[in-house]
Amino acid sequence: MKRSGRFITLLIGAIVIACFSGRALAADDKAAKPADLVLTGDAVCTSCHDASDDATPTLANRHPSVMAIGKTRHGTRADGRTPSCTSCHGESDQHRKTRGNTKPDVLFSKQGATPVEARNAACLSCHKEGNRIGWHTSTHGLQDLSCSSCHSVHAQRDKVREKQTQAEVCFACHKEQRNQISKASHHPVVEGKMTCSSCHNVHGDNPKMLVKASTNETCFTCHMEKRGPFVHNHQPVTEDCGICHQPHGTTIPNLLKARAPFLCQDCHSHDSHPGQAAALPNAPSNSTSMLGTVARGCLNCHTNIHGGNSTVNSATAGRFRR
Amino acid sequence: MHRTHSLRAHTLRLSLLTTALLGAFGGARADEALDELTKPASNVSIGWGYWSNDRPQQGIYDGMRSKGSYLLLDADVARRNEETGTWFTLRGTNLGLDNRELRGDYLRQGRYGGFLEYSKLPRDNPFSINTGLQGIGSTTVTTGTNLGSFPRSEVELGTEREGIRVGGFATLSPGWTAKLEFKNEDKKGTRQIGWGSAALFSVEPVDSNIQQLDATLQYAGEKLQLSGGYSGSAYQNHNPMLFEQLNRVSGGTNASFNAVTPISQPLDNQAHQVFVDGGYGFTSSTRGTFKAAYTLATQDQHIPSYDLGGANAPFVNAPSHLGGKVETTLLQTGLTSRPSSKLSLMANLRYYDVNDKTPLAGYVGSNTTGVATVYNTPQSYTTTSGKLEATYRLPLGFNITGGVDYSDQDRSVPLTGAVYVPYRESLNEITYRAQLRRAMAENLNGSFTYFHSDRSGGAFSRADGTAPYSNQINPIHLADRIRDKVRAQLDWDPLEMLSMQFRADFSHDDYPQGDRPYGPRDGSAQTYAVDMSYTFTDDWVLSAWYAYDLSKARSVGYRQASGGSADALRDANLQEKGDSLGATMRVKFSSKIESGFGVDWYSSTNSSSQDLTLLGTGSAYPTGTTGPLSDTRNKLLRLKFDTKYLIDKASDLTFGVVFEQWQTDDWAWNLADGSPFSYYSGTQACTGCTGAGYTGVVDGTTVTAKTKQASTFVGLRYNYKF
Repeated sequence: MKRSGRFITLLIGAIVIACFSGRALAADDKAAKPADLVLTGDAVCTSCHDASDDATPTLANRHPSVMAIGKTRHGTRADGRTPSCTSCHGESDQHRKTRGNTKPDVLFSKQGATPVEARNAACLSCHKEGNRIGWHTSTHGLQDLSCSSCHSVHAQRDKVREKQTQAEVCFACHKEQRNQISKASHHPVVEGKMTCSSCHNVHGDNPKMLVKASTNETCFTCHMEKRGPFVHNHQPVTEDCGICHQPHGTTIPNLLKARAPFLCQDCHSHDSHPGQAAALPNAPSNSTSMLGTVARGCLNCHTNIHGGNSTVNSATAGRFRR
Repeated sequence: MHRTHSLRAHTLRLSLLTTALLGAFGGARADEALDELTKPASNVSIGWGYWSNDRPQQGIYDGMRSKGSYLLLDADVARRNEETGTWFTLRGTNLGLDNRELRGDYLRQGRYGGFLEYSKLPRDNPFSINTGLQGIGSTTVTTGTNLGSFPRSEVELGTEREGIRVGGFATLSPGWTAKLEFKNEDKKGTRQIGWGSAALFSVEPVDSNIQQLDATLQYAGEKLQLSGGYSGSAYQNHNPMLFEQLNRVSGGTNASFNAVTPISQPLDNQAHQVFVDGGYGFTSSTRGTFKAAYTLATQDQHIPSYDLGGANAPFVNAPSHLGGKVETTLLQTGLTSRPSSKLSLMANLRYYDVNDKTPLAGYVGSNTTGVATVYNTPQSYTTTSGKLEATYRLPLGFNITGGVDYSDQDRSVPLTGAVYVPYRESLNEITYRAQLRRAMAENLNGSFTYFHSDRSGGAFSRADGTAPYSNQINPIHLADRIRDKVRAQLDWDPLEMLSMQFRADFSHDDYPQGDRPYGPRDGSAQTYAVDMSYTFTDDWVLSAWYAYDLSKARSVGYRQASGGSADALRDANLQEKGDSLGATMRVKFSSKIESGFGVDWYSSTNSSSQDLTLLGTGSAYPTGTTGPLSDTRNKLLRLKFDTKYLIDKASDLTFGVVFEQWQTDDWAWNLADGSPFSYYSGTQACTGCTGAGYTGVVDGTTVTAKTKQASTFVGLRYNYKF
């Protein structure tokens, strides 16, 4: 059945060729000496993996087409550094000799048997500078992630490098963060205004793979008003924003890990109102003993909780109330 | 093998047909087809969208908070000169909305390039605020008093960031690249705060600017890579102080509450950093890395409140400038090696020192004696940490990994003046990790990881406070802690058309009490998730996921008798439970019509359970309050439908409908009976104030969250590709 199908195909091809012999012969000449189609030296591959072999993405297979590499920076032939197919996939002699019955030397798909080091070596041979210097000692590097685990090199728009779609790629593994980012209080990641890489250098070896050396340094890149130093510093603020905030999302406003007064009482155990039990007032009140839970909780009065710069000669200034 | 063979046969057939078609229709059309496959594509999308209702919660950031029509306009243009390798790209996102972005890039690939980006980000306060506060948006706000109150009206608060980024790079010589990037961002708007001296409603005006400059020189050689440069940033606040005043009242002799309350704002600050990162490949299997950075951060603006008089005058010996100066030093080195094909090793050492050199000065004290009681509070931290990790490769694609992380922190803090929380000047933590991982298999990959960590530290210094419980708390970030964590993940493709992912995370924290009975006792967090994708046919694909998360925290504290309540032990059990579900079915009905059907559902329940053990006579809760608190639940449902109709090869029409419903029963802005919380109006003493007949404030501001927000979106877009 298959043989007869191939025969019919050959026959149709032959008839069309015969009908348009001039062009056909020219085309035949081209087939005899295949030319590069996309990348310098790619003829060795594109003689088989040509336009007709190039399945465009479907619903079932979203992978970009082989030749779509031409749409990317890797497909810019005028740049002398641009690789050819074999630069990344290896010479793949066996693959060619067996006309596809064996796999290329280096395959980047999940089904490929190519070791991660070999896959990554293909990328790192060029991309080892800048914020990728620490890749080998990064958490992702040590977990044997391959570059192609996240990057789609043949796609003109690599999902992980696009603001609107990057999180989708990260959430393929980071399910906890996918839950958190969907909570009521969150950074504008799902809205496409921030990306995971706004805070994380996923190729780097900083703690928590942050873009900066510490949590606070990272937060200060946007929230510079919290950097201080203040006249009256709030100690946990100077140490780690993550003591009170969960940056990926919470149900409590302002990304807080818990509501007042519970959050504050994780550290504060004083006389009088700081120890109050959580409760709601029955009526509007100005009593500090009744306002630790409702509205902004403790922050109803301690409004400058990140630190204050007041010189007002009142002890309340040191308690972030001025 | 069979699959490969059939693929080859298929390829052969198609190649022959292509050859035939090449002949039949000529090279021009073939070139066109090739161009379509290999040349950068561009597209422009324009359309109209309409939300049927306001979306205060879901529209915080997306620029579509209000009911009404919106212009949907996006552009993504990419052009490349094949001869020179020069790219020009222009990307516009949400151009018709308040959160628009526009970026243009010019790139001579491999030689030089530059970009310019404009971005706007709104953040709208989701609450409905009804207030009589006057002057919102200015640096002086006025609240009503019995001498003169103000009519209340609805106000909308929010901020907007608007900024540009510009940058570029140039390849100086092979391996050497210089990069320069500058960001300027203005943040303007209004933000809800408190009165400070009383629990009254207030609003601060936000008008600030941040600037960031990064200059980097990179070298990439075969063995050595370097990246070094300068990173500088500056914050400037155009509103360094807010004045809150009482209507028709002046003077006052007590800073606790008088006619004018100054609320300090962040002052201008700057940071300058020089850094160098490097990596060196000693051999093909051994690589070393290092980092060094020095940062000087300063804050030395004249303190605006220093110039105030009367009850708000400064302490006689307070300085007019903080002289804030923080030096941060980072030194880090790492080594990875693969001594054999089966074994890989990693070691990392890090020194991170935050040295706050701000001079110590008294800011509150007796003007009579000149003795200070409250000082500024510089905080310094020196953290030394290290990691060791080894991975051994076992047969059948299994890897086993063991690792140890150690961190030691010195926290040299001047404990001068009022100290409110017991403090620890040293902390250390050791974490052990073990992992079994299987990768590289075609249809079954996964890992199982176990972490155990133990945190402890030096002796606690005492906090001020006469009650014993003031010094019997373990502050959560300083407390001894034992943490166990398990993480399991599995990627399984049982069938060619079915792929599944399973994730499970569980962690448990235990806080040994020692002789400190108050503070956190224990906590846990767990997340379970399953994702699946099923391909019915090439034209029918279903993807779906479900996740469950649960976190718990228990802490104990002391409540002092007050307002009729008894001394008591508080035992709080906080819990948050979340369920998330998403599903999308995409269907290609024909070569021209493709549709998607989707649902997102999120639910989170927050519980603030609290048991009180009474230790004396009195009630459980003070007179005028009600507890314990009820659970709160947030729910979000989104139903989505879109369909794309292909007009021709270059253009299509997309029609979309989204139904969105947000529900909450959060009591944060409610009184105990469920009615809206209202800021206080009534007697409020203002010692020494002048204002004949003054007895109290009139606020009465209400802040409410709309408990059910449902809205439907319809949109139609025309997309053109070129």
